[in-house]
Amino acid sequence: MLMIAGVIVSVILFGIGLLGMIFRRDLIIKLLSLGLVNGSVMLCLVSLGSRANGIAPIIRGPENAGYVNPLPQALVLSAIVINFAILALALVFVMLLVEHYHSTDSQRIEHEIKREREL
Amino acid sequence: MVLLVLLSMLPVLAAFALSRRRHLTVIVGMGLFSLILSAVYLLLHAPDVAVTEAAINAALVTFVYIIAIRKTGRLVVVSDEIPGLLHREGEQISGLEHEILSGFARQLGLELVIRFLPVEQIPRALQQGEADIGAGGIISEIDDNRVLKTQGYLPTALYHLSIQTKPHLKQEESAITGFFSDLREEFQAGKIQACTLDLARFVALSRSDLSPYTVRRLDGLFSYIFLIAPARERLHHQFVSYLSKLEEGGELEKLTRRYFS
Amino acid sequence: MRHRRIGLIIYATILVCCFCGLVIVFFSYQEPARELGTIYLSRAPSETGAANIVSAIYLNYRLYDTLFEILIFSVAVLGVRFYLSDYREKEIVEKIPESQIVRTSADLFFPPIFLIGIYLTLSGHLSPGGGFSGGVVAGTALLLCAVALGANTVGKRFYEPTLRWLEWGVLLVVLSLPLLPIVVDRLPFTELLPPGTMGKVISGGSIPIYNLLIGIKVFIGTWVIIHYFMRHRGEI
Repeated sequence: MLMIAGVIVSVILFGIGLLGMIFRRDLIIKLLSLGLVNGSVMLCLVSLGSRANGIAPIIRGPENAGYVNPLPQALVLSAIVINFAILALALVFVMLLVEHYHSTDSQRIEHEIKREREL
Repeated sequence: MVLLVLLSMLPVLAAFALSRRRHLTVIVGMGLFSLILSAVYLLLHAPDVAVTEAAINAALVTFVYIIAIRKTGRLVVVSDEIPGLLHREGEQISGLEHEILSGFARQLGLELVIRFLPVEQIPRALQQGEADIGAGGIISEIDDNRVLKTQGYLPTALYHLSIQTKPHLKQEESAITGFFSDLREEFQAGKIQACTLDLARFVALSRSDLSPYTVRRLDGLFSYIFLIAPARERLHHQFVSYLSKLEEGGELEKLTRRYFS
Repeated sequence: MRHRRIGLIIYATILVCCFCGLVIVFFSYQEPARELGTIYLSRAPSETGAANIVSAIYLNYRLYDTLFEILIFSVAVLGVRFYLSDYREKEIVEKIPESQIVRTSADLFFPPIFLIGIYLTLSGHLSPGGGFSGGVVAGTALLLCAVALGANTVGKRFYEPTLRWLEWGVLLVVLSLPLLPIVVDRLPFTELLPPGTMGKVISGGSIPIYNLLIGIKVFIGTWVIIHYFMRHRGEI
């Protein structure tokens, strides 16, 4: 039941993030929406691995039942760190672009680049 | 159950955060979102993921975004401190030019940041791209084609002061360099022999003793202008149209009367 | 506008396809995938000796994925350093607004946060944590100092060449240790050290060593990112 709820919420978040990426013109908000899409996929993975009355996969004693699936958690851990590294690099590029064109509007930057290319 | 409540809060918070106009609101909203997501991970029995998500997404990513947007939402103004036009009153800044600039920044949706510089360093700062607008009682006759000028918003007059000495002695003309407050101190100490001042500076200096000086008003029509950095042409157009609208609406007169009546 | 309508149609199709794909994934998340998780759960304690199964998975069974992840992180830090490296000394220096609250809290909180970061790194095989979160928490402690004192002030306390050597040296060690089987006659690195009794601090085979190395690498990488961002944009 929790698994289904997690998956449905992650699809909704994916939709919101995609909407933000397409329809907001500001570069920084586009990047934030990309982060939201990443977070939704990670939520889906972790909730697919959970179970109804589970325990965290850390072995404390000889009891041997009810652990949630540890495999998606390992994947998501790597994904979070890689996500952050790529985000830092993408922000560097956005910063350099904004400094050069004095605007964070993606359409205006494209317009200026087209104008520069024509000259 | 707590998990269902938190899970249902997530899309609402994300939709709210991504629909805001100010950058800072969106960033703080996404930081809050990742904090609640970390709590959701904990309740889904994934403590490793929760700790890593909280440390990275809620703390570092929020900080890195805030640093990255630092300059994008601001309108940087360099100016000298002139009483009546742009001066500090304790913690606040007020004056006629400050009101004009605040209205402009509010219209553009940016934050106004004022840095104080001596007058002769303003054009270079504008040219190097360190500021957007130059202010502080700049006369329209300023001869500098490195920067863009707006139209005059307030007519002024130029006064030439000189000490009454023997007429055959040469007088040293002190150019206006350095901060205006330093000039005022030198004036009160009596070290200035001759200088040319505009109306606002003259009014500010007339509090001190002006008896040893002859005052002569220069001929010609002068007015105060603003300077714009050469790279910001679009800003120049917007500011010129904003000033025209202020003049047409009569607001400029009201503001002038408030500070210079 | 036409553009908006086309955008909305494309968006709706993508969303519907995602939803269908997800339904398919959900219903095909069958026994084989869950079985792998159960296999890891049953075999990990005896083979690796680590109590934290997630750590055991990404540092023992799937070590190579983690190596490439460290490599991606290093390349991203390298990219940040390269693109933000032209730093001209600005003449108009923005003064840091002196804030007593931030300064006092930095004095008070830096040692505990740093200690928590070290604890998280070293006890990755016993409780939740590990190299990544520990390194990032320690980097956050440095971030607090940088906000209170200024990034250049904090950066002067590090000797830059040592930092560079440490960063790339740790990366070299991390990448070359699993290549040990080529040299030492088919002995995989993960079986080099004995698993030990589960639950003790010194247990888990090679996992604590890797946690420490990854923690150092992520800590230095985080500090480099913070330093270069703050230097490029001016202080807070």
